[in-house]
Amino acid sequence: MSTSLEQVYELEPRIKVARARAGVLLLIISDALAVIAVIAGSQYLQALNTEGQYRVAGDYAPSFVAGLLVMIGLLLSGVAYYLWGRRASKAGETGQTLFLLLSLLIMLVAAVGETWIGATLRYGVPIQAFESIHLLITWFTAVHLWLAAIIGILLFGRILRGRIAGHEFVAEVSSWWWYYTVVASILLWLFATYLT
Amino acid sequence: MSSTTESTAVTVDKRPNLISRLIPSVVSGIVLGVIGAAIVGLIVNKITTAYSPDTVPNDNAVAASAFIAWVFFFMIGIGAFNGVFEWGFSRHEPTPAEEMHMAGKGQGLWRYFRYTTDHKVVGVQYLATTLALFFVGSLGAFSIRLEQSRPGALFFNPSTYNTIVSAHGIIMIVATIIMITGPVGNFVVPIMIGARDMAFPRLNALSYWLLFVDVPVILSTFFLGGFQTGWFGYAPIADQQLTPGQTSYDFFIIIFAISTTIAAMNIMTTVLVMRTRGMTWGRLPVTVWGVLFSVALGLMAFPFFLMVQVMVVLDRVYQTSFFLAASGGSNFLYEHLFWFFGHPEVYVIVLPSLAVAAEIAVVFARKPVFGYRLIIASMLGISILSVIVWGHHLYTSGSQDPLNIPFMLDTELISIPTGIFFLALVGTFWRGKIWVTVPTLFVFAVLVNFVIGGITGVYLADLPTDELLHGGMFVTAHFHFTLVGAGVFGFFASFYYWFPKMVGKRLNPMLGQLHFWLFEIGFVGTFLFLFIAGLQGEPRWSANIAAPFVTANTVASLFAILIAVSVFVAIYNVVYTLARGEAAEANEWGGKTLEWTVPTPVPLENFEELPVVTSLPYSYGELVPATEGSGPVTEGGVEGVQPQIES
Repeated sequence: MSTSLEQVYELEPRIKVARARAGVLLLIISDALAVIAVIAGSQYLQALNTEGQYRVAGDYAPSFVAGLLVMIGLLLSGVAYYLWGRRASKAGETGQTLFLLLSLLIMLVAAVGETWIGATLRYGVPIQAFESIHLLITWFTAVHLWLAAIIGILLFGRILRGRIAGHEFVAEVSSWWWYYTVVASILLWLFATYLT
Repeated sequence: MSSTTESTAVTVDKRPNLISRLIPSVVSGIVLGVIGAAIVGLIVNKITTAYSPDTVPNDNAVAASAFIAWVFFFMIGIGAFNGVFEWGFSRHEPTPAEEMHMAGKGQGLWRYFRYTTDHKVVGVQYLATTLALFFVGSLGAFSIRLEQSRPGALFFNPSTYNTIVSAHGIIMIVATIIMITGPVGNFVVPIMIGARDMAFPRLNALSYWLLFVDVPVILSTFFLGGFQTGWFGYAPIADQQLTPGQTSYDFFIIIFAISTTIAAMNIMTTVLVMRTRGMTWGRLPVTVWGVLFSVALGLMAFPFFLMVQVMVVLDRVYQTSFFLAASGGSNFLYEHLFWFFGHPEVYVIVLPSLAVAAEIAVVFARKPVFGYRLIIASMLGISILSVIVWGHHLYTSGSQDPLNIPFMLDTELISIPTGIFFLALVGTFWRGKIWVTVPTLFVFAVLVNFVIGGITGVYLADLPTDELLHGGMFVTAHFHFTLVGAGVFGFFASFYYWFPKMVGKRLNPMLGQLHFWLFEIGFVGTFLFLFIAGLQGEPRWSANIAAPFVTANTVASLFAILIAVSVFVAIYNVVYTLARGEAAEANEWGGKTLEWTVPTPVPLENFEELPVVTSLPYSYGELVPATEGSGPVTEGGVEGVQPQIES
């Protein structure tokens, strides 16, 4: 199979924007369904309380204060991202890069914090259902935060290289994932906090 | 919209040396992946041994870490992350020459072994992988029929038998999930909608190579003790499975779910935003609709499958208790999460096959599609209903008696849109001047087989009869009629239909017909006798058949020989065609969808000028005598072959 015609075709800008938006939205929908699976499954186990063993004496949740600090950090990260993104996603504007850097740094700290929370859970085996849920939610959240941090690092690198101009939609769709990460993490944390 | 970049393209035309060919490629990917998996596995082995009170390594942790390392380092080796880092840290955007190089320009056959972004290359890669998976899966099927041909343990002990059944099941399920959305969704759909490539070419390559690295993961189960939990991997049996062969299954699903999610997102985005001018929703070919509904269902269902396998891995590696009743977990959690994926998955498989059948029916009946909107509406109805019927898989589990009646009713509702689809399919053939080709034969078989699969499904949807039939061979025969009879036969219809366009060569029609008749007779014979065995009361999952079921099983195994022969006929046909087959014409069948308007082999950018669509591609009139060398054409003559486009 030869590739006889050898021209390269540029996509129209509107298509580039539309595909980025559609792609990120679909990924968010898919990931949100994974979050729903975790929440629904956890609620189901709590409701069943199989053999009265769902939670036994001595079972404990991760540190509330540490979790709260991570969530406050995430909120601040989201706000800082918004302060950068609202300008950066408009054509011809770049936004205050300092806000993006701040947002990224807070996200990194939050990811480290969530990882620390997960690593310091000293559950005895076999881990009861209640603690299993907390373990899953903690690490599931940590994975999300690291993923957002990696996206932030790539985005920041792009900005440092001066390659955001003409690609304002990148700032826009990245913000969608960023806000989604913040919202999903907070929802999971609230769910876990009120799980009895 | 286009820009010529011949000067920059010259730079990549230099003859590469051996090293630059191999790095990055599948070779460097495998080498780095194996080394990475071995080193990480060894490190985790040492660590878990050191922390174990009995100084015994945690085999599941070792297997899990080795699988993760295998995937990660393979992807580094094949260059999957190069584009990611360049996106973030390169000083410039990829030049056209670099893009062309990524798309495989000037790399000949070697582009199929690299991280190539051209959607046609990815489509062919999916096709080859699908056929390979079918072959491996069918070896399992023949082993099962051999073992069940006579009473007593003939070849395998029960544990090995169960592993073979389980591996056969999950390999075939994966193969059938990708069999149309992979090859057709990647190769044909972008051309059908008038696009030059997929929306995200790099992610397209990623979705395929994730599938590629996944194959050794499931095959590793045979060296790690196997898994006896069935294709559904039921917990808590999966938790209690002592060998790490079960972990192979779990990671196989996790990686496959990620691959499929990426592919689904890519295909959906492509159809949503990459359609050419005039390709409105009301002019989309039926195949595109079928693939679209299939990947949309997959996008929604696979997160549940992924998360439930993550929970099983946590249970196995960290001793959590999501599914262990003694520690507050529940097997019902697994069953719900699994079947919330599991039932839509049936339609992930079947919808594209039915859509392809409708597409092919139009072309070979040479008349307009009957009820285009009905077909779309019925597929939409099936898709919506399929996500609210999972509970019928739990009728006899004892988990949810109050919900059994609603689940029974909505399950039976699915027969309405399915019936409408069949009405449209039959209506398309009705009074058509049918050109009987190999693809047409497979479409006829879809009609026959799916009716049998569908009607027997009603007995399993009904609570009273399901109480008697569940867990028996009747169920096995039913879902084979559905997934193979409709799904796989639909795939082979698409295979014979689009093979000339994808590969540029014409399959031998005589061998194709021989393949079809051996397959159809063998298939119907095998599974009709398994229906009988099921009605006699034979349970599934029994390596040694009991005396009352011997005759039915022996006859079924004899019919299975025909299927085995058909597989080798198909392989011979493909190999012979690749070696000595005739070159295919651009429009092999007189089709009117856009893929038949481009040359064969398809150029890298598909269209020299993007087409403008003006109508549905199904406006066939009456047949007129064919002009020499042009094949059958419609009353519009040669121009009438391509009425969907203006230019």
